[in-house]
Amino acid sequence: MKLVIDSAVCMGHGRCYTFAPDLIACDDEGFPTIRDEAIDVPGDQVESAEDVAATCPEEAISLIRE
Amino acid sequence: MTETVSPPEPTRDVGGCPVMHEDFSPQRPVGHHWRLAKELREASAVYFNTFAQGYWVFTRYEAVRDIYKTPEIFSSESITPWQPEPIYRFIPTQIDPPDHIKYRRVLNPWFSPKAMDAASEDIRAICRRLVEQVAPSGGCDFVSEFALRFPTEAFLCVLGVPTQDADLFVPWVEDFFGGFSGDPAGLEPMAKALDGIRDYWVQALAERRGESEARPGDLASHLMHVTVDGRALTDAEMLDMLTVLVLAGLDTTRGELGYMFRHLAQHPEHRRMLIERPELVPTAVEEVLRFYTIIFGDGRKVTRDIEFHGVQLKKGDMVYGLVSAANRDPGHYERAEEFVIDRQRNHHMGFANGPHRCLGMHLARREMQVAVEEWLRVIPDFRLGTDEQLMERGGGSMMTLMKLPLVWEPGS
Repeated sequence: MKLVIDSAVCMGHGRCYTFAPDLIACDDEGFPTIRDEAIDVPGDQVESAEDVAATCPEEAISLIRE
Repeated sequence: MTETVSPPEPTRDVGGCPVMHEDFSPQRPVGHHWRLAKELREASAVYFNTFAQGYWVFTRYEAVRDIYKTPEIFSSESITPWQPEPIYRFIPTQIDPPDHIKYRRVLNPWFSPKAMDAASEDIRAICRRLVEQVAPSGGCDFVSEFALRFPTEAFLCVLGVPTQDADLFVPWVEDFFGGFSGDPAGLEPMAKALDGIRDYWVQALAERRGESEARPGDLASHLMHVTVDGRALTDAEMLDMLTVLVLAGLDTTRGELGYMFRHLAQHPEHRRMLIERPELVPTAVEEVLRFYTIIFGDGRKVTRDIEFHGVQLKKGDMVYGLVSAANRDPGHYERAEEFVIDRQRNHHMGFANGPHRCLGMHLARREMQVAVEEWLRVIPDFRLGTDEQLMERGGGSMMTLMKLPLVWEPGS
């Protein structure tokens, strides 16, 4: 599974890096550092990725199942 | 819905949309606004409210989200639907894209999670001192003695001004927000409070003028040294920014803290859970923000004629997205009308949505979490100290409890 955060949609609510700090980090302004870049989700983090995708208030996170 | 005696006819064609005549701004018994929001949402997705000049009210999650996420159609020039031509202009609150982000980029680092981590020990110390001050008395008015004082001091600390200036800011904030009550008598104190706050910042800027470098950790000084679009900020811009930060930062957290502690006073089982499982505090705070949303609704001004969620909007119309209805929309939340303390996947709009999402959200969360932790550490058991009906301020500004008497066994 891959996870992508759309930079045009993300507004920096910070729910993703709060609830999945092992997957997503935040920059100095409070936005996730990995915007517009598909990152691999390790097998043991799939549930966490699904949780943060459903928690994003802007619906900015998509999951790509391979 | 209250007082729905044949509303005045709208002065324009509303295309068969249900019409209401409702002043959302007066104080009401606590819980009134969420009940009203639910009734409105269940009966119709959209209304035309003939109150003031008339405006549209959208009650369901999708429409509220779409208003927030389409700033090119829904301008923030006015955010109070019954005040389409406001007497104030706040930066960045009332600035639309593309300029909006330029101001936000200046402010975002001051309110980022990293900045909050850096301030966290100071914030906790402020909270601890205030809790320890009230604890021995066995009771207090939580709103005036803690819920307004704590965020005010924490906020001034983050901005880098003396926390004792909270004594000045607290009455200004009260008078300013009193001006949204719908009562014209509130407008003069509102304007005076605004003058007081602006004069405070005029003086702060004057003291810092001419310094060759920004004072570390001092936002007013920092603003004098930043560039936006390759130029320095004007005095008017700096004043507008500092003023709105104060108003937004002090009043809102007070509102959420009041509802959160009223809930905890009435739910000993939740107090126990948070003491035994402190890892639940952040999720509980998010659920407070969803379930006890203090944004009754958020206003925007329509920039061009457009059909939107089944109605024909015209340029210059005001719309009101009922965030309090959207955050409990059963189309979007399971057990929407229940407070679920460990709710996962909670994508609420309690901090708004889209480009204007709350700048201070990370500070507000931190303050709410610290307040619960520090209060429960010293005062694990407490209850409401009155049988009287508690009142809440209406929409227009943020909702807040006017008073919250709490009592406990001293030394419990």
